[in-house]
Amino acid sequence: MSLVVDQLSLHYGQLRALEKISVQAKAGRITALIGPNAAGKSTLLKCIVGGLRPTAGCVLIDDRPAHRLSAATLARRIAYVPQRSVVSAAFTVREVVELGRYALPQSRARVDDALGRLDLIDVADRPFPSLSVGQQQRVTLARAVAQLSEDGHLLTDEPTSAMDLKHVRQSLQLLRRLADGGATVLIAIHDLARAVMISDETWLLAGARLVAAGETRKVMDLKRLESVFGVRFEWIERPGKTPILHAC
Amino acid sequence: MQPALRRGLGLSALGLLAIMVMWLRYLIDRDPHGAAVSLAPPPPGVALFRLTAIAVAVIAGSSLAISGVLLQALLRNPLASPFILGISAGAGLGVMIAISLTYDADAVARPASSSHGPAALLGALAVLGIVYLLGQRRGWLDPVSLVLVGVIVSAICGALIMLLHHLGPTTGLMQGKITRWMMGRIPEYPEPITLIAAGGLAVVGGAAGMVMGRAMDAATLSDDEARSVGLALGRLRVGLFILAGALTAGAVALCGPIGFVGLIAPHAARLLVGPRHTLLVPAAALVGIVIMVGADAGRQAIELGAGRLPIGVLTALIGGPAFIWLLRTGRGQA
Repeated sequence: MSLVVDQLSLHYGQLRALEKISVQAKAGRITALIGPNAAGKSTLLKCIVGGLRPTAGCVLIDDRPAHRLSAATLARRIAYVPQRSVVSAAFTVREVVELGRYALPQSRARVDDALGRLDLIDVADRPFPSLSVGQQQRVTLARAVAQLSEDGHLLTDEPTSAMDLKHVRQSLQLLRRLADGGATVLIAIHDLARAVMISDETWLLAGARLVAAGETRKVMDLKRLESVFGVRFEWIERPGKTPILHAC
Repeated sequence: MQPALRRGLGLSALGLLAIMVMWLRYLIDRDPHGAAVSLAPPPPGVALFRLTAIAVAVIAGSSLAISGVLLQALLRNPLASPFILGISAGAGLGVMIAISLTYDADAVARPASSSHGPAALLGALAVLGIVYLLGQRRGWLDPVSLVLVGVIVSAICGALIMLLHHLGPTTGLMQGKITRWMMGRIPEYPEPITLIAAGGLAVVGGAAGMVMGRAMDAATLSDDEARSVGLALGRLRVGLFILAGALTAGAVALCGPIGFVGLIAPHAARLLVGPRHTLLVPAAALVGIVIMVGADAGRQAIELGAGRLPIGVLTALIGGPAFIWLLRTGRGQA
């Protein structure tokens, strides 16, 4: 099961949103997608999920071009969590999570499981618009969890940016369990320290181009980060634990 | 109370209310020489006219309401309606052109002549095509652009209708009939083919709307999310657009352009059965029936000294404030 981005470019007239991106996400690994604002992180995710049409190049899902797959086929392989979900109807939390099963056989067990994993059982019958932004992010993640197959691809765009610390930790642990179970997890994230903590691999984007991709510690080269973000970084080593990346 | 039970009760209550309103319309009568209103079964000669008027109101009310549900789901916009998007005005312009081209003394004797149905459909679909093409940005249908284009096209169609009215035959009979048609009316003797075609469209539209209910639920998500859960959004939008246009055309061919039913009925139905479209489509159709048949019954009882009120005036007077109430109380979510 693979997710390959092959020479992908997206131009809006003279504006280059993505330029010849070629990279591959691995099953069973969490890949962090990092870069400064307007680097192209969200745009790349939207191209992969089929929401934007690339100007050139393509995305291969399990060796098949994504643009030739029907929406239903794509939904069986990819689940997507945007930065901020839009639900323009007063559906309950449970109904929003059930939408994850739209192209799949309905499964109350999968929906209940997703609600439980994201700590949403108590608010399952509340209207989605009445929740806080952080709670809405958990609902959106639960929808993707209800949709995702064991060896599927989960694309997330800042999925925990508005969550409280307890639920950030809970959600990231869930992403780790999904990856350990065989899923490919891609997470666009601004918090580099958190990216180091959770990811196995990292894609670094800047100015619409892929600057580096590979093992997180190798990509997070301090000089490279400084040149891309314009900020100095240092590693704080912790014996027996993952070191902390600190912005000076 | 369980949500499913509450929704089932809501739908049942609406069905009961629709039957009661239809029964009221069948019984209600006003003394033509005075203001006295009576409730009694009509004589056999009158009963057929009453039943026909009820059928017209049922078809037009349900068609406009279902069309409103489809458009609001399609555009993720609680203000979307056949009226706002210019579909009613386009259908009306089609009918107006047909009237202008086919005018003769006989044709104006029948408020819903046989040429009105196809003309309304052509007008509605032409406007839909224009709004659809102009409402796109970068190859995708943009809900905001679509509403703005719809409002502008609606205004242009309205101006063309008035222009044709101004240039048209000047006999008092013709002008009076066109004016009343423009305000919306419930004919008691429509052309049978128009009635049957519009009725068929209402049934097909209602059934198709219920079948597409889950897809419309998914379409309430953003474009990217809707596609990511497996919805073929482009195909759904084309289907909903054509269906909404055909339903509106049927209603306009029968009754003329009638505002607010397609806007208010979906909101009122949501209060009773919630936002799921499989249930919302039949519920909104029932609310549309209650509004149209109820307004028709109401205008039998109102005497202002100038004949029966045009139904479009009554639906706007009821629907407008009701919609403002929905907006002010925050109950008018899509």
